[in-house]
Amino acid sequence: MKDAFSKYASYLNDLNDKRERVVKASRDITMNSKKVIFQVHRMGKHNKEQVLEKAEKDLAVVMNQYMSRLVKELQGTDFWKLRRAYSPGVQEYVEAVTLCNFCKTGSLLNLDEINASLRPLSDPSTEPLQINVPDYLLGIADLTGELMRLAIGRISGGELEFAQKICRFVREIYRELTLIAPIMDDSWDMKTKMDTMLQSVMKIENACFSVHVRGSEFPGSEDANFSLLGGLEIE
Amino acid sequence: MKSAFRSAICTALEFSLRSLNPNPYRKTLVLLPRYVVVFPAKPSHFTSMASSESGSHAPPSPTVLNLERQFEEFRHQLDDSGNLRERIRSIALEIESATRLMQSSLLLIHQSGPIPEVLEKAKGQIGVLKELYNKLAEIILECPGQYYRYHGDWRSETQTVVSLLAFMHWLETEGLLLHAEAEEKLGLKSSEFGLDTEDYLIGICFMSNDLPRYVVNRVTAGDYDCPRKVLKFLTDLHAAFRMLNLRNDFLRKKFDGMKYDLRRVEEVYYDVKIRGLATTGNTTGEQGDGGQS
Repeated sequence: MKDAFSKYASYLNDLNDKRERVVKASRDITMNSKKVIFQVHRMGKHNKEQVLEKAEKDLAVVMNQYMSRLVKELQGTDFWKLRRAYSPGVQEYVEAVTLCNFCKTGSLLNLDEINASLRPLSDPSTEPLQINVPDYLLGIADLTGELMRLAIGRISGGELEFAQKICRFVREIYRELTLIAPIMDDSWDMKTKMDTMLQSVMKIENACFSVHVRGSEFPGSEDANFSLLGGLEIE
Repeated sequence: MKSAFRSAICTALEFSLRSLNPNPYRKTLVLLPRYVVVFPAKPSHFTSMASSESGSHAPPSPTVLNLERQFEEFRHQLDDSGNLRERIRSIALEIESATRLMQSSLLLIHQSGPIPEVLEKAKGQIGVLKELYNKLAEIILECPGQYYRYHGDWRSETQTVVSLLAFMHWLETEGLLLHAEAEEKLGLKSSEFGLDTEDYLIGICFMSNDLPRYVVNRVTAGDYDCPRKVLKFLTDLHAAFRMLNLRNDFLRKKFDGMKYDLRRVEEVYYDVKIRGLATTGNTTGEQGDGGQS
């Protein structure tokens, strides 16, 4: 009995150690992905390229430094077994990558594309880390919250067109996700996110609505008023 | 800076929202950033916005198509995994009912049924379980590497199975059913579809919960040597479990419960011994005493 239990003990020790390492890697990914997202929010009318360039550079660091650590830990059945341990980090990473990509190209970065970008991290002999569909979708759900912030910010920055574009994009995502949310692995988690997402969508729509309805009541030179606005907004 | 104008707009907006929103309780949605109130727009803005709005009625852009395609793909994938899960669940249900049959025949042990006969009947279900686990393994092999995606769907059933098998094994041999032996009994292979070690350990904890009742009933039926045997086994088992570094999870909780089983068996043993009932196993009984301290 003792022999058998020392075997179980070492199994449990290894598993717990690994789980701890994965949790740590996941936390680092979350933290640094958040920084990237904040960087994207610093975007203004004139510094777009600059800001995005820096964000992409930071993102590359996240991938090479932190995602690679996660990749090295996870093998075979670990992807699902330890999912709870790494899922938050991966979701945040998906959020950051897709946000960056949307600002640059105006489209949604596919899961396949993200996974393809991760492939070089793992060595070819082992199974590569593949982000799973539920984690990707949960990340996309969070993305809409960031896009809402971005849209509101862009409206105040005078980039109406961009805000409109975000609005259409987020609506589309919400529409698609309504079909998918109920059949997801852990649909309960997604349900709460869907509620938040609807709120985000409506916040953007309301902001666009206000501009649309009342914009004409304030005639005057565009630039002059924007500078006036800028002052008000910062206050 | 909250002007009457703004709040008037707010209410108007809220009303329109109420009628449009399928969930009318959500009032918090009205977020009007301050700058919106004084936001300027030239007619040019209007036209640009109008055109972009109407753009959504035009044929969808490649971006939207790409997005739709991906989500449709996801829907197929998730539908497939949903179907797989249904199949797994239906087998888990069958496992559960087979387990229940096994358990009910095993319960006769408390009514002093002759052990070999009771075991014989209970063992009849092992073949059924083996077959069901075989089916389960086949399903899981369809999606390699995803064992733990669906693990939750047969977990608790498997823990019960382990507890019953271990109890039967103990009745036969007075020893612990090891992980590898349990796998073998169920026809599982670690390389493909194995028995999760934590499930095994939890099952063993469940078995320990059954032992106090068994001891009590055996003593009532006149088997005074039984407490000594069970006590020795449980003491060893408890010591073995203490070798594990457990996390604060379900297994830990179950293990923490084991000491109450141990204490109950100790009490029974004490009761029997102090009255001089356990005459036959006196010498070995003292060994048991030594083991527990």
